Formats: sequence, structure tokens, C-alpha cells
Amino acid sequence: MGQLNEKIKVFYEKTKKGHNLEMACLVRQIFSKLIQTRQLTNPKLLSSALVPQSLVSASHKLYSNAPTPYEIVDPDSQKKIQKDIIDKVNSQIENKQEGRLFAVVHVAGKQFKITDGDVIVIEGYWPPTAGDRITLDKVLLAGGVDFTLIGQPVVQKGLVRVEATVIEKTLSHTKTHFKKKRRKQYMRINFYRIPQTFLRINSIQIVGEVNNPPEVRGLETAIF
Amino acid sequence: MSNKHLFLKAGLINTPLQNGVGRYVCQLQRVVLKFCKNNGSSRGMRDFIESELVNYAKENPGVVVYLKPRRHRTAVIKAEYLNGDAQWISCRNFTQEEISKWMNLLKTQSNNNTGTRLKKLWHTDHPSIQGPWTPYTFRDPKLNLVEFPNTEWSQPADMTNTSQDDLVELFKKQKIEELNKNRAK
Repeated sequence: MGQLNEKIKVFYEKTKKGHNLEMACLVRQIFSKLIQTRQLTNPKLLSSALVPQSLVSASHKLYSNAPTPYEIVDPDSQKKIQKDIIDKVNSQIENKQEGRLFAVVHVAGKQFKITDGDVIVIEGYWPPTAGDRITLDKVLLAGGVDFTLIGQPVVQKGLVRVEATVIEKTLSHTKTHFKKKRRKQYMRINFYRIPQTFLRINSIQIVGEVNNPPEVRGLETAIF
Repeated sequence: MSNKHLFLKAGLINTPLQNGVGRYVCQLQRVVLKFCKNNGSSRGMRDFIESELVNYAKENPGVVVYLKPRRHRTAVIKAEYLNGDAQWISCRNFTQEEISKWMNLLKTQSNNNTGTRLKKLWHTDHPSIQGPWTPYTFRDPKLNLVEFPNTEWSQPADMTNTSQDDLVELFKKQKIEELNKNRAK
């Protein structure tokens, strides 16, 4: 590098002497560039002041989302994160550290967010009678303090076990159904009461492993 | 029109003694069937007593069943519950099926809830497991260090570019293209 510099210097002076102005300008440009590059490659200078002069031009970054060549993108990073999370949930369930669980269940056309010990009321005709113990199978969502299992639309069958007891079957208060048409001498009145079923939620548990579905699915309710 | 239901006492779900947490306990304690031996309005009641009452009593050993014949009066069912409530149903001209239906209802009820309107169909002691939502849930923790007033965080989150911004961007792009061309030369 030093030799080259000296050569250029000599050449520069020669051209100066020869009054070749254009040539001199060009050489000066090259010279200044050379100095710049030298400064950039000099580690001492690099560490001090010259760094923010944008070594990599950020201009094209504004218009493209393509990763720049020096970025290392791991294609499996997302999968690793997912696996870590699922493993954590599974270990929690295995060690029974999941705490209180809650679930969103679909019963008789309505959705309820329930946890252990809740009471929900189901309206309309619904066959189970007082004292019956039932499991609520249509679980749309289940979760603990640290995680949530979201069904698409229903959580994998058999993974979440929601047990409930029917504690009461009554009728609602008397509701009035009143119809009237103005100026038509038309008036009707009806009274009705809706059957109500009270359900006590006994337990919500996660049975088995999360994200480990059986190989054959959809045959849980099939009769052969 | 009756507006009675508008002035009903409104209540929340109230289950006695945590019923159903361990096991289910039938809340009906005593049923008194009052009827007349001759009158036609008690006929359905008499039929029920003849054909179904013994089975009913056998199936529900926890319920005491009394019969109370009384001359020339309407048939009536009176039910008493564990919490002290009493319910009284007039059974004038009821058929046997109607009476058995009412008897079944009384058996599965836990109190006399005629005259109370349920406000909610859900009762819980633990309303939130993951914590209630606040404006800061699911937000960038960077927000904690921001000092206000701050233009970036005071803007709406879904601000779209104005046409002026688009023009400026186009202009910049053009400039850069020109620059690249010059460099290539």
C-alpha cells in the first residue's frame, strides 16, 4: 500500500508539473478516495469517529423486506420457540403445577367461561335431570395462568375433561308476551316460563399431552 | 298488560350449601297433597295418588309425602324445602300427567324461586384466572420507558400514509435510482 501511495504521489506531482489539469483532478479524486478507504480499513480510526458514516447504505432497506446478506436467518427458529413453549406447558401439566384451569364450553347453544366450582344456568329444554354427573365435551378454549389452548373451533377431543353435576331444574320467572296492533282491535297476552337447568362445574383437567394428538382421529364417537 | 315481571325481585344464582360440589343432595323435604275424595276438580290428583304416588315415594326416600283429604275443596300441592321455603300449587282440574309433572319439578327444585328474576346465568368465585384485562396487557414493554408528550406514541396505531407522504417517497426513490445509475456509469 505504501509503495502504491508513493507511486501515485510521484505521478501526481509529475502531472502537476506537466500542467495537465484534467488529469490532475482525476488523480486527486482517486487519491482522496484512497485515503478514505485507508482510514476506513485502519482499525484505530474505525473504532473512533468514522463509524457512523454508514458503512452499509441503508437506502435500499427502506424499500425491501428481503434480508440483507449479512443477516443470519434460522428457518427453524420459530419451530424451536414453539417446541419450547409446548414442552413447558406439558411439564407443568405433568408436575401438576398448572394451577386453576378455566375453559370456554359450548352448552345448548350458549358459550360459558367456567372454572372449578362455577354454577351455570342452561335455558330451554335439556334432558339431564338433577343429580346427573356429566362431562362437557365441546370445549372451545382451555387455559391456566401461564398458557391457553385455543380450539379450531374445538380443542382436541379428550384432551380437556370438564365434569359437571346437574344440581337443579326449575322454571324461570313468569315472562309476559304481549302483542298489540294500534287501531286494529288486536291485543294478545301470553305468559310463559322457560325451563332452567343449573350446572355445577366439578373439575376441569387436562388429560394427557398437549400437541400430541392420536394418529387416528375422529373415531372417538363412532360405533362399529 | 301485566307489568308484574318488571317489578320482580331480581337475584343472582344462590345454591344452598355448595350443593353438587361433593355430591348432590335433594333439597325437597316434604310434600303435602291436599285433595277432596268426591269432588271432580280433585280427580287427577286422586288418579295420581292411586297409580303413581307409591313409586314416587319409593324413588325419593329423602322426601316425606303426606296426604291430606279435605271435603269440598280444591286439590293443592304444598312443598317444603331444606332452606325453609314453602311452595303452594293449586291443582284445580289438573290431570294426572300434569300433577306428576309438577311433582317432578318440585323434586328437582331447590327453593321456591317464583317471583325472583335471575340477573345472570353464571356464578363464579374466580372471575379471572389470567388476570383482568388492562390497557397495558399485550402491549410493548417499551412503553414503560417512553416519556410523554411523544409524537410516535400519540399517533393512532393504524395511521396510513397520506398522498403527500407517497409523493415524497416516490421522489426519494427516484433520487436513489438516479444516484445508482450515476454510480453504475
